[in-house]
Amino acid sequence: MPAFRIGIDIGGTFTDIVLMSEDGSFRTKKISSSVENYARAIAEGLSEALAEYGIETPAITELRHATTVGSNAILEQKGAKIGLLGTKGFRDILQIRNLRLPRLYDLAWDKPPPLVERYLRRTVDERVETSGTIARPLNEQEATAEIQTLLAEGVEAIAICLINSFANPAHERRLRELVATLAPNLPCCLSSDVLPEMGEYERTSTTVVNTYVLPVVARYLATLQADLATAGITAPLRLMQSNGGLTTANEAARLPMNIVESGPAAGVVGARAVSERLGLSDMISFDMGGTTAKASLIEGGRYSRSPEYQVGGGVIMGSRLLTGAGYLLKVPAIDLAEVGAGGGSIVWIDAGGSLQIGPHSAASSPGPVCYDTGGTEPTVTDAVLTLGYINPAYLVNGRLRLNAAKARAVFQDRIATPLGLSLERAAHGAYEIAVARMMRAIRAVSTERGRDPRRFGLFAFGGNGPVFGAAMARELGISRVVIPPSPGLFSAFGLLYAEVEHHRSRSFRAPLGTNAAAMETTWSAMAAEVLALLEAECFPQARRQVERLAALRYHGQAFELTIPVLEGPLNLPALGEAFGQEHEKTYGHRAGPEEPIDVISLAVIARGIPERAAVPEHIRVAVPEETTRPGPRQAYFGPRHGWQETPVLFRSDLTTPITGPAIIEEYGSTCVVPPGFSAKLDGYGNIVLEKEAVLF
Amino acid sequence: MRDPIDFELFKNALFAVADEMALTIFRTSYSGVLKNNMDYSTAVATADGRLAAQGLTIPGHLGSVPTALQSVLARFGAAIAPGDIYIMNDPYAGGMHLPDIFMFAPVFAEGQHIAFACTVCHHTDVGGRVAGSNAADSTEIYAEGLRIPPTRLYAAGIPNDTMFDLIDTNVRMPGKVRGDLRAQLAACTIGERAILDLVARHGLAETIAYMDDSIAHAERLTRAAIRLLPEGRFSFEDWIDDDGVDFGKPIRLHVTFEKRGDTLNADWSGSAPQVKGAINGTLGWTKAATYCAVKCILPQDIPNNEGVFRAIEVLALPGTITNMQLPAACAARGLSGFRMMDCALGALAGMLPDKIPAASDGGNTGISIGGYDIERKPFIYVEFVAGGWGARPWADGADGHSSLMANMASYSVEVTESEYPVQCLAYELVRDREGAGRYRGGTPFRRDYRFLEAEATLQVRSDRREIRPYGLQGGQPGAPSLNILNPEGEARVLPSKLTMTIHRGDVLRHEIAGPGGWGDPLDRDPEAVLKDVRNDIVSHARAEACYGVILTGRTINHEATEARRATIRAERNWAEPPAVSRTPSHPNADRREL
Repeated sequence: MPAFRIGIDIGGTFTDIVLMSEDGSFRTKKISSSVENYARAIAEGLSEALAEYGIETPAITELRHATTVGSNAILEQKGAKIGLLGTKGFRDILQIRNLRLPRLYDLAWDKPPPLVERYLRRTVDERVETSGTIARPLNEQEATAEIQTLLAEGVEAIAICLINSFANPAHERRLRELVATLAPNLPCCLSSDVLPEMGEYERTSTTVVNTYVLPVVARYLATLQADLATAGITAPLRLMQSNGGLTTANEAARLPMNIVESGPAAGVVGARAVSERLGLSDMISFDMGGTTAKASLIEGGRYSRSPEYQVGGGVIMGSRLLTGAGYLLKVPAIDLAEVGAGGGSIVWIDAGGSLQIGPHSAASSPGPVCYDTGGTEPTVTDAVLTLGYINPAYLVNGRLRLNAAKARAVFQDRIATPLGLSLERAAHGAYEIAVARMMRAIRAVSTERGRDPRRFGLFAFGGNGPVFGAAMARELGISRVVIPPSPGLFSAFGLLYAEVEHHRSRSFRAPLGTNAAAMETTWSAMAAEVLALLEAECFPQARRQVERLAALRYHGQAFELTIPVLEGPLNLPALGEAFGQEHEKTYGHRAGPEEPIDVISLAVIARGIPERAAVPEHIRVAVPEETTRPGPRQAYFGPRHGWQETPVLFRSDLTTPITGPAIIEEYGSTCVVPPGFSAKLDGYGNIVLEKEAVLF
Repeated sequence: MRDPIDFELFKNALFAVADEMALTIFRTSYSGVLKNNMDYSTAVATADGRLAAQGLTIPGHLGSVPTALQSVLARFGAAIAPGDIYIMNDPYAGGMHLPDIFMFAPVFAEGQHIAFACTVCHHTDVGGRVAGSNAADSTEIYAEGLRIPPTRLYAAGIPNDTMFDLIDTNVRMPGKVRGDLRAQLAACTIGERAILDLVARHGLAETIAYMDDSIAHAERLTRAAIRLLPEGRFSFEDWIDDDGVDFGKPIRLHVTFEKRGDTLNADWSGSAPQVKGAINGTLGWTKAATYCAVKCILPQDIPNNEGVFRAIEVLALPGTITNMQLPAACAARGLSGFRMMDCALGALAGMLPDKIPAASDGGNTGISIGGYDIERKPFIYVEFVAGGWGARPWADGADGHSSLMANMASYSVEVTESEYPVQCLAYELVRDREGAGRYRGGTPFRRDYRFLEAEATLQVRSDRREIRPYGLQGGQPGAPSLNILNPEGEARVLPSKLTMTIHRGDVLRHEIAGPGGWGDPLDRDPEAVLKDVRNDIVSHARAEACYGVILTGRTINHEATEARRATIRAERNWAEPPAVSRTPSHPNADRREL
């Protein structure tokens, strides 16, 4: 029996399980996400899948998991009851935040409530200066009393974040000892361990989030491992991190802050890996589902990562400038821009007579009008159905039938008639405006960072990604779109492409050029820590790789850029030059050599290089059981092309390239090939859409 | 209107231009004022200077661009050529206050001038008598720094070196100012490129027409929303403590909103004559404060452009604090703007009593500490702090929220300590200072700063020391703001506005004022009072005195609470709750000596 690797991705409605064989064939299984006990559901669903496909448990070599258990605990305020110890005079850092509002002119907006209520936030007399010098010793007697107060309140864990502890963690460590004396088994997270970087709000918030989800995540992982063991599955369990790397279950339980956004990251990981096999190193990943669309940039074969993000911050409301709506987590994460546009987004006319999409969504309940499940507002899916792009009878192999007449009627009454447009023009207008809304997400990760999207390819997935991929590409001036097999389940596939990664970072404030030796020392210390993790995960020395990074900015600037450092002895002029180049690329200009550069922080990324790729080169795409193709149908491609008789194909038919218009139907998704695009299958089972050189 | 789909696509792209320009400044600027406080704005305007799209940054700049741009058009008009860049900051030529430098890049397509890419940034320093160019106690514009009339910074792509030299020579930190001007230039370049992209996509004639349509669309949305508001006249008055020069002389703000059909008219007549201190506002600033208040009652999704302003008429008499005339000083006019906004909201509370909160902390407070270190290198620490909103008719006031009109971020304590000769000793909420109410005002905070260099000039612009934030519908006024020098030692109470010399080891404590309450405090849910007591933001004593809630440990003594509340009700003997509660009841009553 061939060996299997398993990817498990929890989504909003379904949890997707992919069982990938070493010979390239794969099986999938969907289970409901709406269950009381996730861990049990996964173990049971997996056992069923194994039985169904005749796979024996010893054939499973590894499980990879993306979970929302951390983010749900935060969003639903169902984390642990925890205490927070801070410096006297600074009890409210967590609550005051940085004052800025994510919404303007909104008298009703409130910050999400702090994860630790004020009575559980205690302060102790102590003070460390910015240099690390201790200005006031820790008052241990008072500290002990405060810890006892927290214990009497019944806290399940304690977070500790003192002012300037990144410069000297002695007082935080002593507090941990005091906690251990009083409550030996109570989890205790120090900000100087979790995030040894300057910035008391970022450090406090990150430490608190980590502490808040820790008991929940730890319990979940322990239960999952126990349930899997009961089912006879003892293969190692690895977790997807927000940064795109895998980590062990143990490490995830220790630093759960790293796995909060694991699901969205998995799709980008897959997009990068599949693109790399195709020899494409510059891609924009585009993941469109039922309620939101997400974009991320892959450049030179690397993800773009942001140093911090907001959990529950919501989608881009109008601008990336307005942040602060969620809980700040300063851990590197794959940089995703998200807009509230998906199949369920509601199409409406504003009071000024302008056609609008979202941000409200009919989601899966009541759902689009065509689902016939009570929805009354026209949605993007209703528009797409009216345009003839999706098949009312074929969706999910005919398991979901759509009411096309209802969709048309609602579009006519609510949109076309009031705007004085034909039905198809109104539906196509909604389609185009949805494209324009989603451009915001793509612009946020490309042009707003000085990257020209025309240099990139588009990697489209998610249930609706292939419906919009070509239209997005045309709007962006992108000439190639890649659509992977099973685009609707692609995030679960993405897990299988991930590699083990561990990140560490630390404040290091000095002018560039003065502290080479100290920089080396700091990197070495962090490297030793992450290499030990790789060693513990049985990566031999030759398969452990460490990359060093430095966050730099011109002296006086308030925002830094993270620059990878070349291997070998530290070459400061080369690092300065690389920074200058990146600055020019991102902002369109760079300062002269006389402008001093400051180092802000240093980081390392350690990677465990697998002996061979977890996913075989060639994935075998199953040919659908049906042999009869649905007949051609009329589809509308805008005023210029009008209604066209459009052939309907299966993915496996694309062994011979075709030109649009065409529609490719498969289980769980539909790929639209508009006029002016060609489509073919590459050697890996991906559909590749290409814009024809001359458009009419 | 033309094709509604094409128009919507254009409008989407047009606002994206303004936002992309804003992001460019955010990412490339040097000074913390821009990065942390986002005290800047970006916009696209039509060739004749109408605002077509403004980015979402600082509400206080609403409507400032057209005023400034008109002065450039008046001065240069037909001479405007491709490759030109214009700057200006003079409040008497359409500017706001001197630190705000406007920069405009005309955009030409097919030889035709079609638009302007516009930016305005608050610069760290523009010279004048006090570092930071923010002094509240200058009495003439001439003391406030470099006044730049509408000027070509670049003529057909050639830099005006004289202008650059003049700026470098007159400001305290030319490096930072240059860096921020560079950020503005980069944003203008990005804006110009993006506008030309719009032309390439939609066509030249369509681009020009759609910009007009965007303005008309916003106007339709605004008028449709105004039509739904109650008809009538709604007046409100409030007072600023003083101007920092004539202490003890309160300054009246007065506004009357009149709503007729689909137009809203705001008349600031009755406001005080302009004052000696630097808190006078230009007409543009008064308009911005009015627009901000009105936008709070309009739907959230109305695009930000001139169409909104067309439906809101603002009248302010020349020579008053709401429309200053030469030579009035205005560097610290932020204060009057925030207060005008609160005053305008007070009037709107008469129109929509269920929608409008009680007075905020009145912020923000401006604090600057500037001087030279031992090597004669200058340092300027400038910070604006605000944080408390008034109670709302449906919920407590927010705490740790920036003022609505400024939306500024606070500096990190740790970053401040690493970059400036300042140590922050405390930054936390203060107990028993909120305006009590059925819904209470947000909890104010204090900040304690210790100064670490030999000597510096400390400058503070605060208010709401005498005239406290008002409460509504029976809600109580909040506590006054406070400035205390060396609270652990001499504990000297300082005035609300000051410029003084401080020395190594001196500690300034600033407490923001307590925001007002909404509704009768005796109607507050005792559970909410218990929660506040448990969180130590309301004391047991205050719970009893203001809210009539008697607690025994962590439990509510319901019987005693009912009795206590009955006693208070009988003593105060209200026919109905006062619509507005003020302390003092009138600015000339009950004033104490500083």
